[in-house]
Amino acid sequence: MPAPTPPEKKPDRHYDFRGTNIVFALCSLGLLAVTLLMVIMDYGRPWKRVQAEFRDLERQSIVRDLEQEQQAINEQQMATVLQEITAAEEGLEQRGSEVEAFEDSIAVLDKRVFESDKLMRARKTQIDAAKWQYDIALQDGGERSIASAREKIDTLTLEWQQYQRATEAYIEQREAEQDKLAEVLSTQTRGEGRLGDLNAALDGLNTRLSTVEKDLDYFMLNAPLMDFLAPSLKIEQVVLPGLFHDIQFAKIDRVDRCMTCHVASNRDGFDGEEWTNPYRSHPRLDLFVADASPHPYGRFGCTVCHAGLDRATDFSRAGHSPVDDEQRDAWIEKYNWESQPFLHTPILPLNMTEAGCIGCHADEVWTPQATVQDTGRQLINKLGCYGCHQIGLAAFEDLPKVGPDLTKVASKVDDAWAATWIEAPRKFRPTTWMPHFFFQVNIEGEVNQGRQRAEIEAIVDFLWSVSEEVEYAPAPAGDATRGEDLFYSIGCTGCHILDSEAERADFTDALHRLHGPNLAGLGSKVSRDWVYAWLRDPKSYRPDTAMPNLRLTDQEAADLSTFVVASRRPEFENLERAELDEGIRAELVATYLRQTMTIEQSEARVLAMSAEEQSVYLGERSITKYGCFGCHNIAGFADVKPIGVELTEEASKPLHLFDFGHLHDLPHTHRDWLRTKITTPRIFDQGKELVLNYSELAKMPNFGLSDAEAEAVLANLIGFRKESVLEDRKAGRGERGENLAAGRRIVTRFNCQGCHLIEEVGHAIRAALRDENNLPPNLAAEGVRTQADWLFSFLHDPSQVSLRPWLDVRMPTFQFSDEQANDLVAYFASIDEADPFASEPEAGSARSRAIGEEIFNMLQCAKCHPASADAIAASGGAVGELAPSLLLARERLRHEWVPHWIKDPQGFIPGTKMPTNFPTTSTGGFSSPLGMAINQATYAGEKRRMMRYFDSEEGLNTFLSDVDLVSAALRDHIWTMSN
Amino acid sequence: MKRARTWSLVLFSSLAVLMMAACGGGSEDSAPVVSAAPAAPPAAAGNATVSGTVTLASGEDLDITIQMNADPVCAGLHEGDVQSETMVIDDEGNLANVFIYVKSGLSGSFPAPSQAAIISQKGCLYTPHVLGLQVGQTLKVVNQDPTLHNVHASPKENAEFNQAQPFQGMELERTFDSTEVMIPFKCDVHPWMSAYMAVLDHPFFAVSATDGSFSIEGLPAGTYTLEAWHEVLGTQSAEAIVEADGSIEVDFAFEAGA
Repeated sequence: MPAPTPPEKKPDRHYDFRGTNIVFALCSLGLLAVTLLMVIMDYGRPWKRVQAEFRDLERQSIVRDLEQEQQAINEQQMATVLQEITAAEEGLEQRGSEVEAFEDSIAVLDKRVFESDKLMRARKTQIDAAKWQYDIALQDGGERSIASAREKIDTLTLEWQQYQRATEAYIEQREAEQDKLAEVLSTQTRGEGRLGDLNAALDGLNTRLSTVEKDLDYFMLNAPLMDFLAPSLKIEQVVLPGLFHDIQFAKIDRVDRCMTCHVASNRDGFDGEEWTNPYRSHPRLDLFVADASPHPYGRFGCTVCHAGLDRATDFSRAGHSPVDDEQRDAWIEKYNWESQPFLHTPILPLNMTEAGCIGCHADEVWTPQATVQDTGRQLINKLGCYGCHQIGLAAFEDLPKVGPDLTKVASKVDDAWAATWIEAPRKFRPTTWMPHFFFQVNIEGEVNQGRQRAEIEAIVDFLWSVSEEVEYAPAPAGDATRGEDLFYSIGCTGCHILDSEAERADFTDALHRLHGPNLAGLGSKVSRDWVYAWLRDPKSYRPDTAMPNLRLTDQEAADLSTFVVASRRPEFENLERAELDEGIRAELVATYLRQTMTIEQSEARVLAMSAEEQSVYLGERSITKYGCFGCHNIAGFADVKPIGVELTEEASKPLHLFDFGHLHDLPHTHRDWLRTKITTPRIFDQGKELVLNYSELAKMPNFGLSDAEAEAVLANLIGFRKESVLEDRKAGRGERGENLAAGRRIVTRFNCQGCHLIEEVGHAIRAALRDENNLPPNLAAEGVRTQADWLFSFLHDPSQVSLRPWLDVRMPTFQFSDEQANDLVAYFASIDEADPFASEPEAGSARSRAIGEEIFNMLQCAKCHPASADAIAASGGAVGELAPSLLLARERLRHEWVPHWIKDPQGFIPGTKMPTNFPTTSTGGFSSPLGMAINQATYAGEKRRMMRYFDSEEGLNTFLSDVDLVSAALRDHIWTMSN
Repeated sequence: MKRARTWSLVLFSSLAVLMMAACGGGSEDSAPVVSAAPAAPPAAAGNATVSGTVTLASGEDLDITIQMNADPVCAGLHEGDVQSETMVIDDEGNLANVFIYVKSGLSGSFPAPSQAAIISQKGCLYTPHVLGLQVGQTLKVVNQDPTLHNVHASPKENAEFNQAQPFQGMELERTFDSTEVMIPFKCDVHPWMSAYMAVLDHPFFAVSATDGSFSIEGLPAGTYTLEAWHEVLGTQSAEAIVEADGSIEVDFAFEAGA
């Protein structure tokens, strides 16, 4: 018999009580641990640490300020005030009984006012009751009761009036007593007031200090689990309607949280050395972030300019991008930084911040004050990137081709020179914008080298086969020395340099000076006859050239052409066309033919073609391949589409669409790829050169960009992002914006800033002037200064008037269309926010004109300004060499502007030769010295004549001391002058 | 019910306090370095002297005559030719109108003198042609001529001004906030008129006289870099070591065309 098993303990439940307890216990412990962990992690979020640390730093800074302030308070002043207070207090003690008496009597009067007022109110109530009784009597009672009720009302009314008077009298008495008391106390109050003034700064700091103390309140409010109530450490965010964040085709409003850590960015004063990021004030609070700036934080936030993930409150996730490796390593150490491969728009590194302007400002052509970006914009304009790549932004649309017209090239240069040039343009002219297409890093092996040679020669053969032949008449003899003087004085140097040593990188900050080619070595490129014809009329060679007509006489053109062709590079003269491998050329031709023919057909066709036919055919195909027509007018290529990819939204293209090739050391960011592409465009073929078909090799040419040039171009490229701003939120909306954009395009096209200062940029010619006095005018305030009609006709034909006869530099004739001239007039008016069409000038009153004439003589205005044709003749030309003729004023200047100009010329155009006649006062205004001067004996005549218009000397003095009246009178006198 | 809520608050608070204690109560105090720059103390007075002569080696006649015909009033104020003040050299080759000053090596602050430095416009020339003054010191420009002058200063560090003086005897006063060597003055009415003014933060400067001599007095002992400035010849530097109450000679020799 088997041993009986012990009876199992019969469970009283269907589950294991103990086991469940253990599970529950473990679960709840686990949950507790997780909860605690959550609390700890939440409490330890990095931004909280940042805010807490800032609070400490701010407190320390205030404490320092307090100490300084305390030291700064003038001890003497303080002592005097304290003494005053003490004296007053002593005085009060002495007059203690007096004060007490006043206080007592006020107290007594208080009581009386109260009593009397109480009685008055009681009577008022009784009157109301009596009136009611009167009503009752009228209804039911007899005559007697009516009379008695009436009597009662009268008596009560009388009493009520008495009490009212008494109350008023007591109040008056009390006020009188109070005034007397205040008088006695006033010395002390005054002293305390002054003490308060002295301590105001201290009090302000103390108040600030109390807000940043880490006291019990602070710890309670921010304690874990308590901080849901009203924590002082909290996420700071701003919702930005209309500024979108593009997430998978959905546009959602940005919610910027940057100020959660960048706590002081909207506050002034956190920019000393002791403040490091994220605690610093934003630079240029006059422009950004501050409420009064054009870009207040509440309207624009941060990420619309800086990019990055708007909602992030973690350093890495926000998308901070280091400027360089050093910063990257520092960030890794300090913030545990890692790159965000899935964030398409990481924060722009600090040196690229200006790229952020493009999102809203692209329609305005340029963004004033964004200097790096503007350098990049100018570079893109000069390099002609838009010739191959469409860039759908106002600054880069509908622009003329950057390179010279090649439709008449055979009559301009030698074919062998052209081949040498195409092979390596920077060899002949290091400053050129024309890039290198041939023999780049991805061209390896003898065969490919041979193909390059064949293409170069073929391109020249094709161009020569389609070029017009123009004969140039022999230029008259010229003098190089006179030509040199002209070159350096009439304004050529606003756009050209002539310097064989110049490097393009030296001009990155002065791109206006490279608007036209460096003319060094010109004599080895073109003939003097060509230069002479070109100078006489640039548009006859190329109708859309930016080169203006300088209205040179035959002799001037001869002298100037003699001077410029004297610069030569003999090693580029009498060149021979290069040898090439005809087999390689035939193979290239066959490859192209094979696109539309069978192998057999193409081979037969090649055999049927002459060597010249082959070369011309290959040339045409090569021009198509390299996109030469993007920058040059070439016969037969008028309507061919550009060959490059569109760049309008290049920086928003997902990163995986960029081919990094085998460059494993290159960080995988948009910025690094783009920088590498524009500096070494063929590098991504590395390792694949010999397996790729010849036609598959990268074709983008090498522009030889310096680091600074590349960074500037990049500061635009990185800003070419997908539309993420509501149209209405962009800058440059409305008529003014359109006018600015249209004007800026013309200003860029014709390089007006090479000579003039416009929108505070320009005067590039200054560096090349041999005489500083020959500097072309600063066009600040041109919009409020000149009349629209006058400016319009002047732009059309600057030769009609000699405005500043002392200048050798010439305003050229640009042959503007009416539309262009109108655009420029509207542009200048829009810069100054002036009405383009000013009102008709009015004549001043006879009185004002007559007084104006006397003042004009007293101030000796005619010492510099010609005021009549006779004066110019009499001075033998000396007058007129200093200042514009006033005979032009009425036609040219705006009536309302002239007095403002007379008053404060430096305020409109800093550095102008025109002085103010009115010394500045200590308050920043102007004072007229005429009121004093008129009483000198010298001006007795003027005084007598002016007195005709005044009743008293005082009246005259008042007039002459009023700067506005005086300048208006001068204007009214000037308005009487005319040719 | 109300009671229960109060209790839970107290509980939370005490928990909070405990947590805080556990977490060390937040960030540690890391006081940034105090960088308050107190004003330099007044410098000790000295009694040393640096003197010398400025010469110009040139075989050419550098005199240039000024043509004042453009303004008959100016021409009428002179009998005979007026020489340019740009190159003033005596027969021994001593050069005037050179500004010599202590460029570096000084410490402490030097209060600006209360009396004004004066430039006169007399005979359509600026007198003196070269001068120095201190930051905060008043410059007074006087027109002594019966014709219009304009005082046009083109500083780089200080504020530009351009003030007409149409009346004889007119004065204008300015002070300058920053040191600057040199501020050019010109009169746009009379293009030949020019003057140069240096603004320094100390009084140790001199302008060479017609015999080329100069003398800087009252220097404290020390090692200084002196600079001599001329409007067309440029600058030259020299080191000077002076002892208290000592006096040393430093000469400057310019070369034309250098």
